[in-house]
Amino acid sequence: MKVTIKSWTGVATWRWIANDENCGICRMSFESTCPECALPGDDCPLVWGVCSHCFHMHCIVKWLNLQPLNKQCPMCRQSWKFNVH
Amino acid sequence: MLRAIGKRDRDIFEEVWPDKRRIVLKLLRQDTVSQREWQDLFFGVHFVCLWDEKGAAKIYDCLQQDIVEFIVQAQSQVQAQRGEQALLATYIVEWRKFFTQSNYLPLPFRQLEQSPQVKPSSSGSSSSASVSASGASTSAAAAAATSSCSGQAGKSGASTSATAGASTSAAAAAASTSASTSSAAAAAVASGSGSTSSSTSTSKKNPTEDSPVRKLMLDSWNKHIFHDIKHRLQESAMKIVHAERNGDAYDAQLVVGVRESYVNLSSNAEDKLEIYRENFEMAYLKATAEFYRLKSAEQQQENGVLAYMKYADLKLREEEVRAKRYLEPSSFNILFYTLVKVLIVDHLNSIIAECPALIRDYETERLNLMFRLMDRVMHGVGVEAMMGDLQRHIMSAGLADMLSASEVITQDSEKYVERLLELFNKFSDLVRNAFNDDPRFLTARDIAFKTVVNDTSVFKMELPTSIANRGVKYTAPESKCPELLANYCDMLLRRTPLSKRLTSEQIDARLRDVLLVLKYVNNKDVFMRYHKVHLTRRLILGTSADSEKEEDIVEWLREVGMPADYVNRLARMFQDIKVSEDLNTQFRTSISRHDAINIKILNAGAWARCSERVSVSLPIELEDYIPDVEEFYKKKHSGRKLQWYHHMSNGTITFVNNFGRYDLDVTTFQMAVLFAWNQRQHDKISYENLRLATELPDPELRRTLWSLVAFPKIKKQILLMEPVAISSPKDFAENTMFYINQEFAIVKNGKSQRRGKLNLIGRLQLSTERSQQEDNQSIVQLRILRTQEAIIKIMKVRKRMNNAALQGELIDILKNMFLPSKKMIKEQLEWLIENKYMRRDDDDINMFIYVA
Repeated sequence: MKVTIKSWTGVATWRWIANDENCGICRMSFESTCPECALPGDDCPLVWGVCSHCFHMHCIVKWLNLQPLNKQCPMCRQSWKFNVH
Repeated sequence: MLRAIGKRDRDIFEEVWPDKRRIVLKLLRQDTVSQREWQDLFFGVHFVCLWDEKGAAKIYDCLQQDIVEFIVQAQSQVQAQRGEQALLATYIVEWRKFFTQSNYLPLPFRQLEQSPQVKPSSSGSSSSASVSASGASTSAAAAAATSSCSGQAGKSGASTSATAGASTSAAAAAASTSASTSSAAAAAVASGSGSTSSSTSTSKKNPTEDSPVRKLMLDSWNKHIFHDIKHRLQESAMKIVHAERNGDAYDAQLVVGVRESYVNLSSNAEDKLEIYRENFEMAYLKATAEFYRLKSAEQQQENGVLAYMKYADLKLREEEVRAKRYLEPSSFNILFYTLVKVLIVDHLNSIIAECPALIRDYETERLNLMFRLMDRVMHGVGVEAMMGDLQRHIMSAGLADMLSASEVITQDSEKYVERLLELFNKFSDLVRNAFNDDPRFLTARDIAFKTVVNDTSVFKMELPTSIANRGVKYTAPESKCPELLANYCDMLLRRTPLSKRLTSEQIDARLRDVLLVLKYVNNKDVFMRYHKVHLTRRLILGTSADSEKEEDIVEWLREVGMPADYVNRLARMFQDIKVSEDLNTQFRTSISRHDAINIKILNAGAWARCSERVSVSLPIELEDYIPDVEEFYKKKHSGRKLQWYHHMSNGTITFVNNFGRYDLDVTTFQMAVLFAWNQRQHDKISYENLRLATELPDPELRRTLWSLVAFPKIKKQILLMEPVAISSPKDFAENTMFYINQEFAIVKNGKSQRRGKLNLIGRLQLSTERSQQEDNQSIVQLRILRTQEAIIKIMKVRKRMNNAALQGELIDILKNMFLPSKKMIKEQLEWLIENKYMRRDDDDINMFIYVA
């Protein structure tokens, strides 16, 4: 008797790797969404700054739009730049 | 003329009038009047009025005398008639003659209108009207009287006599002259008399209508002849109608003629139908009611209620036609009201009493008849009673049908839904054929369907009765219908014998039917949950029969009003599957050796809530792939980490033994268990060792092993055990031994096959052991949250609201998910008050106030 694998379908979900539990702006868990969204995941993504702080994209964009001059990270006050991997 | 002025002191009236009076009498008798005589009359009237101060009054008095005399003559002629028909006929002839005269005899007497001495005794309205009309008419009369233009008098005479059908010599003479006249005054008269000729009835304004002479004529007729014989007239007319109703020969024109005389006789300008209404209409209504009161009782007694309905319907239609002949349109409503009262309302109870039996026997034609009769009754009393009967019948018949078939349909969702649909179609047909899809009956049907669908006597779904959380102590049992509907949907959408048997159109039609039934289901949230679970299985295992249909039904669910966030999540699931397919393609091109590997990456929020992850020790081959997949994914999506859900993972293995070679579809857990034998094919392995090898938690291992030793409906199992007599997975002991069945083979038609494919997955477990109950609990839990959410949503807008209004809005918001029970709403209100989301008004305990 011999058993061999012919094909396999692996099922997985994914989660964010963030260095914090909650979004520093809306205080909602990264596992859930920003206050505007209903469905976590792709629809309400996280973004990282070069300062390594992480927020809901919707939250940080809103925040940056409220800063007329110096676009800074709300956590560390360094000027905000998106960290594009 | 000078001579006339000279005789001023003498009585001009006495001198002029006797001559003119002869012409008046001729006119009344409808004798031939020459053009000259006609003109002379105009002249005479004008002359007397002009030169005699009291001339107008004198003419009026004299005229009155003559008219009365003429009428008395006519009366004696009419009264002399014995028979009804003769009486009516004579009356009509006399009346028509007289009425014709009343249209043009007043013309020469226009002058009288201006005279203050000839104010008609009765109504002020006619005199004021005559003043306003005089501006146009007097100029014409004056012009005619001075005989400066002979044509116009002839013209007016011509057109009136043409109406009467009596050709006077004046008319003959006028025909040639009227064409040549073109003065403005003549045009005014022509247009005026033109309208006279166009209408013998009073419907149009004609120039003689307001004339005191006309009024005098009509009033005199009314006083001297009509008043005395109107009862005889009415009686005779009603006798004719009666004879007609009984089917005897008759002359309808007589009745019509009498009616016309009643209508035209009125000299009251504001209410032209006064005399008609007070006499003719009343007599007609009375006669009608009396006739049918007798007849209807007789008919019902002789032929029974069902035949009577036909009779009533027939008679109503007959009377409709008859009314158009004999009555003015203004009387139709009151006549029908009377008829409906006598023919239907008075028999309402005995007719309605037949309704339940007719519904039971599907007597659509008779029901339709009854409905048409009842629909005539004001305030819908009869229709309401019928609706009640229909509703009660559908409920009891529907439930009885379900109960009688309960044994089959509780086991089989296909049979259940089909039975239900058959029932619905039957009653929908009934409503369409018998009640023309009247909205009121559709509503009654819907209420009854709701009751049948949500009834719990056949199917019960127990929701947990005790959840400590948030004060819920008790929930009522619910109908299993939504679950069965979801199961049926699954059978149609999955690759099953059913979905293979049906064409695409048939499947579409059935899915539509499911949505139709779903409309009546109170607790749609149960359907949503089960539908989603089924969909999850189909997508993970790839068992959808038609992926296009899958997405169609999502849109249909949106159309029938399923909550948007629920539908969006379903759509998201399809998106995940598509994204995963792309991902797989990329993954395979990046690393050539992973042809066999598929990954499905799901958005955690969108899919059926997965329970906690289960650890398992994967076969070595798979274990090697995992890091590759994870690495690949990390490159595609930075900041994300994969979490495996191996209880949903599955695959196909090739199983080779001495007998043959088989492809088996298995879960990852089954795979892990079977791989334990790969190094020691003939060994017997204890339960405990299997647990060590697979690292599966106890309940999962038991369930997985059971699916390998006792998979339903196969002759030869892949695993065997010792001892053999174990009847449930709970009875596996630590030392229960398992070993590979070397004789395993796929058996078809009693013959073992050497090759073949077998699905050992069955129903893919989406959750772990505990969660069936958890599932039901979470339904209740979700309802609680939704209720609270909806209450807050409403209160936030309204600020203050009383209990009844709040409940109304609440049910409206939640109705597409579930029907909140009164009890649950109360509990949640209490909870929200306790937690200071809102409070009760100090003065009114039923008033809630939102607390920010």
